[in-house]
Amino acid sequence: MLRKSLAAVVALLLVSVLSFGAVRIGITQIVDHPALNAVFDGIVKALEDAGFKIGTDVLIDRQNAQGSVQNAAAIARKFASEKVDIVVAITTPSAQACVQVITDRPVVFSAVTDPVGAGLIKQMGRNDSNVVGVSDMVPVSTHLRLIKTVFPNAKRVGVLYNPGEANSVTLTNMAKAAAPSLGLTIVDMTGTNASEMVAAVNSVGPDVDVIYIGTDNTAAASMQAIGAAALRLKKPIVAADIDIARQGGLIGFGFDYFQVGVETGKLVVEILKGKKPSELESHLIGPESLLLFINLDLMKELNVSIPQEIINRANIVVENGQEVKR
Amino acid sequence: MIAILEQGLLLALAAMGVYISFRVVDLPDLTPDGSYIVGAAVVAALLRSGHGWVSSVFLAALAASAAGFITALISTRFKIHTLLASIMVMTGLYSVAIRIMNSPNLPIPRFSTEKVLSYEQIVGKTPLDDILGGSGSFQYEKEGVRAAIVPFNNRADGHDLFIIAMFVVVIGFLLWLFLRTELGTMLRGYGRNRFAVKVLGVNPNFFALMGLTVANFLVGLSGALFSMYSGFADVNMGAGMVVVCLASVILGEIIFGSREFAYGLLFPVVGAVVYQILLSLAMKYGYRIGFRPSDMKLLTAMFVVSVIAARRFKKSEVTV
Repeated sequence: MLRKSLAAVVALLLVSVLSFGAVRIGITQIVDHPALNAVFDGIVKALEDAGFKIGTDVLIDRQNAQGSVQNAAAIARKFASEKVDIVVAITTPSAQACVQVITDRPVVFSAVTDPVGAGLIKQMGRNDSNVVGVSDMVPVSTHLRLIKTVFPNAKRVGVLYNPGEANSVTLTNMAKAAAPSLGLTIVDMTGTNASEMVAAVNSVGPDVDVIYIGTDNTAAASMQAIGAAALRLKKPIVAADIDIARQGGLIGFGFDYFQVGVETGKLVVEILKGKKPSELESHLIGPESLLLFINLDLMKELNVSIPQEIINRANIVVENGQEVKR
Repeated sequence: MIAILEQGLLLALAAMGVYISFRVVDLPDLTPDGSYIVGAAVVAALLRSGHGWVSSVFLAALAASAAGFITALISTRFKIHTLLASIMVMTGLYSVAIRIMNSPNLPIPRFSTEKVLSYEQIVGKTPLDDILGGSGSFQYEKEGVRAAIVPFNNRADGHDLFIIAMFVVVIGFLLWLFLRTELGTMLRGYGRNRFAVKVLGVNPNFFALMGLTVANFLVGLSGALFSMYSGFADVNMGAGMVVVCLASVILGEIIFGSREFAYGLLFPVVGAVVYQILLSLAMKYGYRIGFRPSDMKLLTAMFVVSVIAARRFKKSEVTV
């Protein structure tokens, strides 16, 4: 017993000696969620690609608020009071909590749809503060034009989202602003959990021509059931997120959350190399990271025809049950 | 450590509310999961429209107390158990909070922000533009906001702690004074024995209304202060409030080992601070013993149940 605890003490000392001089990065996210975990993986990848060794050069303190805003605030205060050199905050509430209390160290936000509206930064681009980051806003108007091109007869587009998610509400408002000029009408389809989402598809679904899903976390989590319900109604789903599209969508035009993480990680690397957040730009994920996904099997099943020109552009297609990357 | 105390004392205000509903008037009430958000939502909306923080906080707590009043009204009028009535009110408040904020998440801005634009307005073009024809530009603008003035400076210099502690001390003292008055004594009497109060010729429903109103006032106050303290209100803020507060109250009772009234109001305060300390210890060291973030809720639930069970073995008299 004594020997064991002695060994533990020695190991602890060794770790603290080894970690001397290393940079500490605190990473916080609101909840355990595949897309958000992919962001984390992307950040680590970007750090490793830049030559930083995790565990020796860079120590990562990863925290998760378990869905509680109170915990997110507690984590932010913990980072503020500890020797964390850079804070990375994934998702809106986690970022809001960190930005509020950490003013003397860089805060890098990620996967925040509307960082200006969320009060994180004054404007997109360069800001005179300690906060910089990556927004996962998607091109909503492009999605609607894609819908218009593939389904020229479509009039009513049902937007499926959780009214409790700030990101989804922002995207839906944008869709409502963009729709009239394309001759489309936006119909709200809302649910705050999986069963309400399926109920929304079943009740409102028959009245719409196409179902559009943004970067909604609730929809993402219940996509299997939503996809099945939409298929029964023979309604195509167009998604702004590749992972959502993979699980029952006909078309997806968006980015991998892993890529969001990589972009975020690049900002962290710049800061590690000595840049200040005020010298960097808060930006959206660039158009070069936008991927087009088309499920050709589902296309046949729904009996729709997608212009060959668009199919040719797809980065990922599903054909005969196989996902093919092009 | 200062931050833990601050959060503990913020929680203490809500825990005092839960203490009043569960312990003083003995009406199990889940409204706090909703009234906490109402407090946060009202304060965020008022501050953004340029109101002073003192009046905003007071109005926010008042709005939350209305939620408690409605729960009690439903419960007494339609003879529904408060638990069920409060679940209904709590569920409805989710929508009400989004209405108040006109959004699920509302920051309390520390600085003025500029307009929000769409992807196409910022980036310009997307890879599909040549196929889809034309550009994606359309008018989307969400107005920026002006900075709001809040008392918290968000530095670990004890300034925030002082403000929060003042709230806890003043509210705690007022509550203690109130519970000692004739009305307060009758309120406590109602919690002990509903029928005894009836004998005194007072309608017992009055005490149910008063108890839940006061309880949710405190919860709303806690929500409003927390939202100013953390810089934003979010519609998912209130989830699990009751359980956390109940855990705090029970922790306080274990620490004091007695349930005499004189200490009564200290239970939730001390319990909330200790709860917050345990939480941060679990966050800091938990992973070393194979603890996962998602295990936290299970631990809280197991903790509350095991404490109640332990007391069941000790004494026969248990009232949870």
